[in-house]
Amino acid sequence: MTVTMATNGAVTVASLTGEIDASTAPAIQQQLNPLVMPGAKVVLDLADVPYMSSAGLRLLLSIYRQIAGAGGKIALAAVVEDIRDTMSVTGFLKFFVVFDTVAEAVASLAA
Amino acid sequence: MKGLPFTISDTIAGYVGSVDRANQCFTLTTSGGIEYTAYLAPNLFARFTFNLDEPYADATGRIGELLKPGQLIYAYGVFYPKGDETKFEVKSITFPGDGVGVYRQEEPNWWVHQVRSIADSYLKWQFNYFENGGNIDYRDYRTYLNLSGGKNKTDFLQETDTISRLIYGMASAYMMTGEDRFLQAAEAGTEYLREHMRFYDTDEDLIYWYHGIKINGDLEQKLLTSEFGDDLDSIPMYEQIYALAGPIQTYRVTGDPRILNDAEKTISLFDRFYLDRDKGGYFSHLDPLTLDAHAESLQHNRAKKNWNSVGDHAPAYLINLYLATGEEKYLDFLVYTADTIAKYFPDYDESPFVQERFFEDWSKDQGWVWQQNRGVVGHNLKIAWNLLRIHHARPKEEYTTLARKIADLMPAAGSDQQRGGWYDVVERTLGEGDENHRFVWHDRKAWWQQEQAILAYLIMNGSLGDEEYLRHAREASSFYNAFFLDHDDGAVYFNVLANGMPFLLGNERFKGSHSLSMYHSTELCYLAAVYTNLLITKQPMDFYFKPYPKSLKRNILRVSPDILPPGSIKIAQCWINDAEYTNFDADALTVKLPETDEQVRVKVRIAPVG
Repeated sequence: MTVTMATNGAVTVASLTGEIDASTAPAIQQQLNPLVMPGAKVVLDLADVPYMSSAGLRLLLSIYRQIAGAGGKIALAAVVEDIRDTMSVTGFLKFFVVFDTVAEAVASLAA
Repeated sequence: MKGLPFTISDTIAGYVGSVDRANQCFTLTTSGGIEYTAYLAPNLFARFTFNLDEPYADATGRIGELLKPGQLIYAYGVFYPKGDETKFEVKSITFPGDGVGVYRQEEPNWWVHQVRSIADSYLKWQFNYFENGGNIDYRDYRTYLNLSGGKNKTDFLQETDTISRLIYGMASAYMMTGEDRFLQAAEAGTEYLREHMRFYDTDEDLIYWYHGIKINGDLEQKLLTSEFGDDLDSIPMYEQIYALAGPIQTYRVTGDPRILNDAEKTISLFDRFYLDRDKGGYFSHLDPLTLDAHAESLQHNRAKKNWNSVGDHAPAYLINLYLATGEEKYLDFLVYTADTIAKYFPDYDESPFVQERFFEDWSKDQGWVWQQNRGVVGHNLKIAWNLLRIHHARPKEEYTTLARKIADLMPAAGSDQQRGGWYDVVERTLGEGDENHRFVWHDRKAWWQQEQAILAYLIMNGSLGDEEYLRHAREASSFYNAFFLDHDDGAVYFNVLANGMPFLLGNERFKGSHSLSMYHSTELCYLAAVYTNLLITKQPMDFYFKPYPKSLKRNILRVSPDILPPGSIKIAQCWINDAEYTNFDADALTVKLPETDEQVRVKVRIAPVG
């Protein structure tokens, strides 16, 4: 599992690659922690995440709470279909702002 | 200091001894055995304890008649310095009942009326129920309610536990009154919790419950981990336990199989992630990402066990789940928690209070945040109360031995034997030369601590028959009913001062908060009524259920109101949809429901045996 950061104007895009489960979630959390800053705008690019366990869903909630708590915004982009289905079943999908592409997510947060 | 160089007012709770009418005074002996001479002030007034929704009950004109030897009273007055002595002049008196040995809380419907009033107050405050056509929308629910039930317009927090506690109260109110608005609130709340607060973990096939949500218009922010400093960024066992309290009490009424499914999958979470299979007991906190109790992220809560993680299962949901299902596996679970408490919590070489916090290997944790080496009075009483309940289902001498030990030690260590009532949190050990356990924060008395004392001593007397336990139950209950009922705004106060006056500052003036949401007050109504009517005064009592068709195994509704001594109660009569019905097993406390496609209203009259 790797996390790659890129900035696009005021928006940070964190691209995650690999599976997210209980064994990888804590390390990802650590890598994402620096993004939790007042007014942060963060896109999580999940295009290369083929599988996400419930630990991954809990990770998303945790990151969301921290960034929202700091007055920031977060969006998910390019969520693969299987994960999108899981998020829908667990009620997560309507909770997050989700875009089909990173570009759309960046444009939305930058606006 | 010799004598008292200033005036001071206070309450004395005690039993009237001799009455000297010529000198307008009487003797008063406290629960702790101290005798005072009390002088009647010229403008003395008196009242009887009166229930919520009852008019003020004046007793001023009958003071002379009522001051008889053996009468328990609460005398509020002023101590005046008189040389080396003080003179206590009584300004007001509260009588717990009309006559020696008469206690209003022992009237058969005292607690039924009280639960109805409390539940109606919360229906009004949370949902504006009586002015909006009887509609209940839990999006309107707010954790914080001020003294008169008003909401803070900037508060958008909905906590899972406090909603669950409200649901518990509503379901209990239905069981006691059969009034549909309470079941409506319980079921709507249960559905809301399922839709908004429940996380179904598809990987593990288990359920855990969000800490809560923040409402913002049509949006909601889900809060997975606790927002409280003690438990921050973790999933505390305590919150998962209390998430089940309301739904399971509702399940007793309706048998809704979805609630049972939720409970089973939440218990699966307990078994797989909180249970310490190696050293026993349950961990108190999990890391939200890994569900690991050993995660470093948990900091001061890493690999810890505590009273809540072991002891709160029984009263919060597990006894009720056992009562509703009769499943042996839940009784086994109850016994496991009781055995764990009996094995690890007593610490009588060090303190009259149990040890409440532990490291993984059950060595004492006496450095945790605020608790340090301190005891919560009510937790001790809660142990005695629940050990007795479990003992009734699976008798063990060690349960009654420990319950008796607690019941015998606590009055001197944790109660106010001068003014009545029970304290909050105290140092577990006496300071050098001290005669009292020091108060950690204050000497105020919280409503839920009184509840634990009342229920513990009621069931101790009802089960074991010691009259001393009945005295403590009556004193605790008399204090509670004299001082905690808010006759102006409704429901009960969070805290009173040592002398019984309501304490109305800070969070403790609220009627709704993280700590208070009509759970303990209604649990008290429900179980004080059960223990008093069925075990002590031996009066029949009615209970109401409304099961869904085909929701229960073999169509059998279990109606036992609590785990009482075996053979002590039976079904005397039963009605379905108000028509008398005879297909029940009186001794097994079960009703064989008719084959029907409709939800039926079941009323059972439970009567004491013998």
